[in-house]
Amino acid sequence: MIKIDIKPLLEQVVNSKPTQLLGRVDNAGLDLFVVELECKAAWVRAQILEMIAAAGKGHIGGSLSCTDILVALYQGGVMHYSPRNPHWAGRDRFILSKGHAVEALYAVLTQAGFLTAATLKGYGTDGSQLGGHPDRSIPGVDVSTGSLGQGLGVGAGLALAAGRLQQSHLTFVLLGDGECYEGSVWEGAQFAAHHKLCNLVAIVDRNHQITMDDTEDCNAFEPFADKWRAFGWEVREVDGHSFSALLSAFKDVRKRTCNRPLVLIARTRKGRGVSFMEKTVGWHHRVPKGVQLEQARREISQTLTETGQSNL
Amino acid sequence: MPPLIEQPNAATDIRDAFFNEVYLLAQADRRVMVLTDDQGAFALDRIRAELPSQYINVGIAEQNLINLAAGLAIGGMKPFACGISNFMSLRCSEQISVNLCAMNLPVTIVASGGGLTYASDGPTHHSIQDAAVMRTMPNMKIFNPADAMSTAACARLCHQSDGPSYVRIEKGQLPGLYAPDDNFSPGLSRLREGVDALIISTGYLTQTAVKVASELQFLGIDCGVLDLYRLKPLNTGALLTQLRQAQRIIIMEEQTPIGGIGSLVCELLGEHGLAVRVRRYHLPDAPCYRYGSREWLHQEFGLDFLSVARGIADWLLSNETA
Repeated sequence: MIKIDIKPLLEQVVNSKPTQLLGRVDNAGLDLFVVELECKAAWVRAQILEMIAAAGKGHIGGSLSCTDILVALYQGGVMHYSPRNPHWAGRDRFILSKGHAVEALYAVLTQAGFLTAATLKGYGTDGSQLGGHPDRSIPGVDVSTGSLGQGLGVGAGLALAAGRLQQSHLTFVLLGDGECYEGSVWEGAQFAAHHKLCNLVAIVDRNHQITMDDTEDCNAFEPFADKWRAFGWEVREVDGHSFSALLSAFKDVRKRTCNRPLVLIARTRKGRGVSFMEKTVGWHHRVPKGVQLEQARREISQTLTETGQSNL
Repeated sequence: MPPLIEQPNAATDIRDAFFNEVYLLAQADRRVMVLTDDQGAFALDRIRAELPSQYINVGIAEQNLINLAAGLAIGGMKPFACGISNFMSLRCSEQISVNLCAMNLPVTIVASGGGLTYASDGPTHHSIQDAAVMRTMPNMKIFNPADAMSTAACARLCHQSDGPSYVRIEKGQLPGLYAPDDNFSPGLSRLREGVDALIISTGYLTQTAVKVASELQFLGIDCGVLDLYRLKPLNTGALLTQLRQAQRIIIMEEQTPIGGIGSLVCELLGEHGLAVRVRRYHLPDAPCYRYGSREWLHQEFGLDFLSVARGIADWLLSNETA
């Protein structure tokens, strides 16, 4: 059995190397890379919870639902980036179109080495560099967002520019499903398909919830995948909380032969990792306090420990 | 070889004066991209035909057009985002605010059909609020040129800018007010001297203002004309110098009275404690459901040169205090 020191994984703060355990499997057949990513995701969830609890505000549900997607992108060896040189020309561009899930992004950027632990800790304090939506003065953020429905069009412009300037990087856009109510998402989707922007990858965090309702009760999206297909996209539907599913979906992202843009519809749960949040609508931007906060802490740290122990 | 592009003159369609310049810029700089919301103009068609990789008809989707322009600019391009004034400025005001202005991106919005250009098309096409809305946009440069020469110059100024610009372009042929070697960096220009009063105008109505001053000359009234072709950033120093010298001030604008150059001048007068009498000629703060030519609508609203000249003559000769 391969011995892995789990401690650094659990205590990691910055500068995680994305491909430490890539391809390594223990003799029980466990993919150790996936285990590592699960630990990293648990660390990100713990940061999200503490940031929001300390600040007394934030968007916890949607941050927890897209955590695994972000960890897969940044730690799964999917995206190319350089924390030491955030403006490196060859980097892949990333747009958090659902800008309110910024707590997840800040934690992931810290884990990747763009932000220091001290900066992350300052979230929610007066004069902090980190606000409630990403802005491009923050290392690792290329596009300021916050107004929903606009990231896909901006991403299409970035992908178009890369094509015109013969640059080989990719542009990733993470959308919430709720923001797909905005018509401008579909203006961007139609444009990207017509112009065959195969260097554009959209991921929809399909957590089914908006602030007040299940999307299907409010104004149904389904058949959601068919809508993207009808707009001319290659569609992959994945379990947004399974690293093996996410990594497999992203595997050929740089060498797709298809000349259509790619969308991953990632089936997720709002509030993922905290049982009472997963069960109810209403954790869009509520802040857990008292016993709920304690329970959330316990559940997230349990996941983290269990992940490490049971799999290793 | 394409034919040489001549200097714009009074016979040049204003849109062609602008897009010929964009064509030259695009030829020299492959970062220039022209996006349109299904607009046509002779010189725009030429860019499409001769520089196809730098031209995209986005279709009738202005919000996406602005978003694309933002992405292109972040990606290193210099987009010219072309469309009908209201559908760019009003429909996309949020995209402009958060994607162009907050990120300070070098995108030029080319707004066709300012003021009552599309006179008989009704209020959906009357662009009489755009100056006010664009003035509230941080980092935005706003140009409103009145002839072919200054319109062509605006294309160059926008291309040189490292932030967002909004330029309102006229259509058709208008008399030339400027010479090829005029300097357009000051943002305003004294087109005519005059001691009795100063008419301040912008865009199409600067042409009217020149006619008003000529008409008043026959009555022995000596009016100066100031063309304020850049509304933002305002050349405050140069404008204040002009305001301090003025006996009376007349402001003409093809906008509602709220937020345009009338507001801008009065704000400046107030802030600097200049007690000079002002009379404003503008469109009403109301949707216009009267249909006719631009000239006819100007007559209806007292913005034609005879109405304005008569109004100024009465005001100056009667020695009114208001």
